[in-house]
Amino acid sequence: MARVDERRWLRWMSPLLGVLLLLLTVRVPADDVIGPLSAVGSDTLAGPMLRWGERLAERHPGVRLQLQASGSASAPAALTAGTARLGAMSRPMNDHEREAFIARHGYSPVELKVARDALVVIVHRHNPLESLGRRELDAIFSESRRCGADQGIERWSQLGGMLPADRIVLHGRNVASGTHDLFRRRALCGGGFRVRLNEHPGSAAVAAAVAAEPSSIGFVGLNHLTAGVRALQLHDAQGRVVSPTPRAVRRGDYPLWRYLYLYVNLPPGSALTGPEHAFLELVLSPQGQAVVEELGFVTLTEERLMQQRDWLASLPMAE
Amino acid sequence: MIDSRPPPSLHLRRRRLRDRLATLLITAGGIGVLVSVLAIGVFLALEVIPLFLGADAIDTDALWRPQPVEGAAEPRHRWRPESLGEASPAHYGMLPLAWGTLKAALWALLFAVPLALGAAVHSALYMPRRLRARLKPTLELMEAMPGVVVGFIAGLLLAPWVELHLTATLLLVVTLPLGVVLAVGVRGLLPSPLGRRLPLGWAGVWLMPWLLMVGAITLWLAPWLEAALVGGDLRGWLAATLGLDYAARNAMIVGVAMGFAVIPGIYALAEDALNGVPDSLAEGAQALGATRWQTLWRVVLPAASPGILSAVMIGAGRAVGETMIVLMASGNTALMTLSPLEGLRSLSATIAIELPEAAVGGTHYRLLFLAALVLFLFTFLVNTLAEVMRTRLRRRYQRREGGA
Amino acid sequence: MRGSWRRYGEGPWPWLAAGSVALSLLMLLALLLLLATRGLGHFWPAEVAVVTPHAGSPFAGIAVREEASPGDTRRERLYFTANRDLEGGRWRWIELGEIARIDYPAELVMMERSRWGDLVGRLVALEGEGESHVGEAAWPALQARLKALERLRDERNRLRDEVVMPLVRRLEAVDSDEARAALVAANGRIRELQAAMGGATLIVESADGRRVEQPLEEVLRAWRPNAMTLSDRVVAWGEGVWRFLSEGPRAANSAGGVWPAIFGTMLMVLLMSLVVTPFGVLAAIYLNEVAHQGVLTRIVRIGVRNLAGVPSIVFGVFGLGLFVHGIGGSLDEWFFSERLPSPTFGTGGLLWSSLTLALLTLPVVIVATEEGLTRVPDHQREGALALGATRMEMLTRVVLPMTLPAMLTGMILAVARAAGEVAPLMLVGVAKLASRVPVDGDFPYLHLERKFMHLGYHVYDTAFHGDDVQAAMPLAFATALLLVLVILMLNLTAIFLRHHLRLRHEVPSRV
Repeated sequence: MARVDERRWLRWMSPLLGVLLLLLTVRVPADDVIGPLSAVGSDTLAGPMLRWGERLAERHPGVRLQLQASGSASAPAALTAGTARLGAMSRPMNDHEREAFIARHGYSPVELKVARDALVVIVHRHNPLESLGRRELDAIFSESRRCGADQGIERWSQLGGMLPADRIVLHGRNVASGTHDLFRRRALCGGGFRVRLNEHPGSAAVAAAVAAEPSSIGFVGLNHLTAGVRALQLHDAQGRVVSPTPRAVRRGDYPLWRYLYLYVNLPPGSALTGPEHAFLELVLSPQGQAVVEELGFVTLTEERLMQQRDWLASLPMAE
Repeated sequence: MIDSRPPPSLHLRRRRLRDRLATLLITAGGIGVLVSVLAIGVFLALEVIPLFLGADAIDTDALWRPQPVEGAAEPRHRWRPESLGEASPAHYGMLPLAWGTLKAALWALLFAVPLALGAAVHSALYMPRRLRARLKPTLELMEAMPGVVVGFIAGLLLAPWVELHLTATLLLVVTLPLGVVLAVGVRGLLPSPLGRRLPLGWAGVWLMPWLLMVGAITLWLAPWLEAALVGGDLRGWLAATLGLDYAARNAMIVGVAMGFAVIPGIYALAEDALNGVPDSLAEGAQALGATRWQTLWRVVLPAASPGILSAVMIGAGRAVGETMIVLMASGNTALMTLSPLEGLRSLSATIAIELPEAAVGGTHYRLLFLAALVLFLFTFLVNTLAEVMRTRLRRRYQRREGGA
Repeated sequence: MRGSWRRYGEGPWPWLAAGSVALSLLMLLALLLLLATRGLGHFWPAEVAVVTPHAGSPFAGIAVREEASPGDTRRERLYFTANRDLEGGRWRWIELGEIARIDYPAELVMMERSRWGDLVGRLVALEGEGESHVGEAAWPALQARLKALERLRDERNRLRDEVVMPLVRRLEAVDSDEARAALVAANGRIRELQAAMGGATLIVESADGRRVEQPLEEVLRAWRPNAMTLSDRVVAWGEGVWRFLSEGPRAANSAGGVWPAIFGTMLMVLLMSLVVTPFGVLAAIYLNEVAHQGVLTRIVRIGVRNLAGVPSIVFGVFGLGLFVHGIGGSLDEWFFSERLPSPTFGTGGLLWSSLTLALLTLPVVIVATEEGLTRVPDHQREGALALGATRMEMLTRVVLPMTLPAMLTGMILAVARAAGEVAPLMLVGVAKLASRVPVDGDFPYLHLERKFMHLGYHVYDTAFHGDDVQAAMPLAFATALLLVLVILMLNLTAIFLRHHLRLRHEVPSRV
């Protein structure tokens, strides 16, 4: 009996509530941000970019994001060629790419930091290894050993007596990927990978391969940690052992953390288009950063966010 | 006199004109299509030429010879299209890629050729016509499986499974044929009405559950056999005695997956070749008392061998160019070993991964075009050779049949 | 002949040959079975277990698979535990020996959410709008609210697709105050709907007793898997399949459906067959009926046949070089220079993909049509000519109608081949997520320059580029199954047609 009463009450109340909400929402300033938004770039950032696109479409129904995510290297190329005005990268643009852009357009692209991430070295979940030093990491992955190891490490037994004698199977990303490039620069001291590195076309494939192969090791972004793999702890510059937790990344303790970037082709003094402005505003907003967290990345510091929001607010408005 | 012809003359003239025009149109269209189709090779070559001529020409030797590599004592073949700073420029050695392509094709053919030829022989010689009419379209369906689906299953399901059941997988190579032989023995022991229910012509069907059972038993026995034969650690044994290291994404997986994709093609052409051998030949041999297998081995096979060879070559062409399967199942490691347990990297997969990222008109871009050109020339050559052999064979039989 | 089957003098070889037939068929069967079970099983509402380990707190999850630990005889099981916001992950491996108890409580609720993935737990209360439903009453109330939410969502989507997007396109073309005002009004209405969705909160208790407050607007669907009867499950399964076929992808392609990919594949294939069929037929007629049958035609015929053997990726490279960068680049310079440096046709798109695949499948159509043409008996042609028909009339009235099924077969085979090709498309125009379908109400209605989604590429993308392969696998399987079904159906049609054709012309095949 009581339940029936409740329902009747609900039926009676809901139009009233609707009117109330209507009154509330009419006050929201109506805008008319419309138009296409096209971005090119990193596979790592594809997840957040697509979800930001979905949220943006909720806020501004007239905006649609089109994304092509094949690797960070495709972003500067597309920005320089003008194929897209937004480029998502999981590493900073290098001098060579920046010069090419300036040579074509006469100014630098605007760099925005949108999230923090970490490169995580992963092994199979049953691998007993706990942590790796920088030299060991280099000796495992590179053939050039620029970080100073005396000899290469090819078998697990070289890392400790209790490990099996199996050959270490290396998994990583293809050359166009920012993850590949950044790992090479930061973990291999700029050296080159071994030929034996399995180059997968996506980070998810790396995690899947490591999860399926007990004698393997690989590296992926923080958001690709899955059930089958375990993240290794790394030694920082002081020799302390740090796990790749969001907290360690937030504090900057974990050695292989990185920013994720958005590059915008914006001539100095000119305005962003409506959709671009709305997109960047969303990315830097608490909702945008919540997406970052939801996907397993690490949010930016409040200072960094404020600073970039101020920059966004300082831009001239599009007519 | 001529004027007395009825008016259709005008009509006829118009008809003739229309005919000539249409013929011209068809000719133009036909020739246009054919020229544009054949222009692919020319276009690719034009795109590649700047690599070797002009200011940006690269050192052609670097493509095929080993180069000094940082961290390695002696020069190596290396494909690494990224520069590591001033000291270590990008390496564009194409040999590892070509090697990987051929290695993938080799292992695929090793898997596919026995199966496809066996199937062709069986269906051409032993199968009842009704069953053969069903088998052919079924295998055609097998050919229609998209590479991306086969590659997906090979890379994400088969590779981890084989990783877990390596012993069983290797054992299957032995136990499956043994199982077939055993089946014949068991059939011989059966009381004759039951044995007659299992004729050779239908063996392709009734052997299926049997093989499934043999596979299951192998899987169940594998751990014991591994413990008994190699001390419970097959991988350690392989590394210690044969010097083979195991990687989950390897040539064996690629071979099985790509073999699956090329079996139907080889089967269809080989079956055609076997069927094309005039019946008179086989009948003559059988009349002289030869068994069907002896007839096949001594008479039909030699007569059909050019056709079978061309079937294998066309299969090789398909295997060399297959992209998605290699991309998803091979691990893309540009190694130069022949080991079936290690990875490889093919020309086609390299093009698919790297071309969208390469700067248009740059060295890397043109090199990938060169890779495509190499693939094009290789497959075109192999296929043309195979086709020529096939037409020759066909004409020979036509002549013989005409003579007989 | 029959008697010789009983002869045993042939040794093991014929049997091994038969074994290879059996093995090939087994492999095909296994592949199809695997695709069917994994692809269709994804939509089945599986039971959720509450697992109590010997040590530690209980958790709820769906058992996914079991595996032997490497180098060990113990087995472990993978559970999909959802609740990513609570646990930090959504998977858990547990050794079978560690499990103390497994229950299947009927009151467990599974929810699909727009954020953080699925949620599983016990429903404690539904609060909001000044009322609260506690305990058992919460479930019917939740279902009622979800239905209302669904209606609001549909209304919002309808508004967006039918009012806002056309207005946006109009505005992009010509700026008008009237359209702008209409857009502001429509946007306002959408915001109202969105606001009407909010307000209610669910209190959910996870298996280990933690409570979560879940805003109701983020919940898309809720079901109680353990309380469902078989017929409920079948209905839920059907609905799942329908959603998969009819909806667009969500959450960065890791959830939702594949409708845009189905549409993109079909459209691309349709355009391709429009190009390839006339040209293929023309070339075949030329080769077979018009050209002088000599060395040249033989060489050309061999060339065309062998083109069928050229790797698809080579066609992709050719398409990229000639169509995209060559022709597309020039088109942009001539007609779309105001949009440069943003390319219009100078980048991969629908048109270039269709053309590339048309070239790829041209040999298929030529070969099939030629086969049909050679099958038309010469006396038919001679008869027509003898009755005074010109060659053209002979072709159009006599020969081509007889070849029609062959042409159709060629076209269908070409479509089947094109639908499964992915490698060339990766170079000439497929997109991970195309924001706009290439067909809309906006002039010129068909947008050939746009990128499109493709089923085959979607398989590759979900399997290799997602966040979590484990979670994306079922979706990839379902997509792969769909692709294979489409291709199998096309091939079966072609096989049937060819069979029909053989019967009609009755060319006796050799015994």
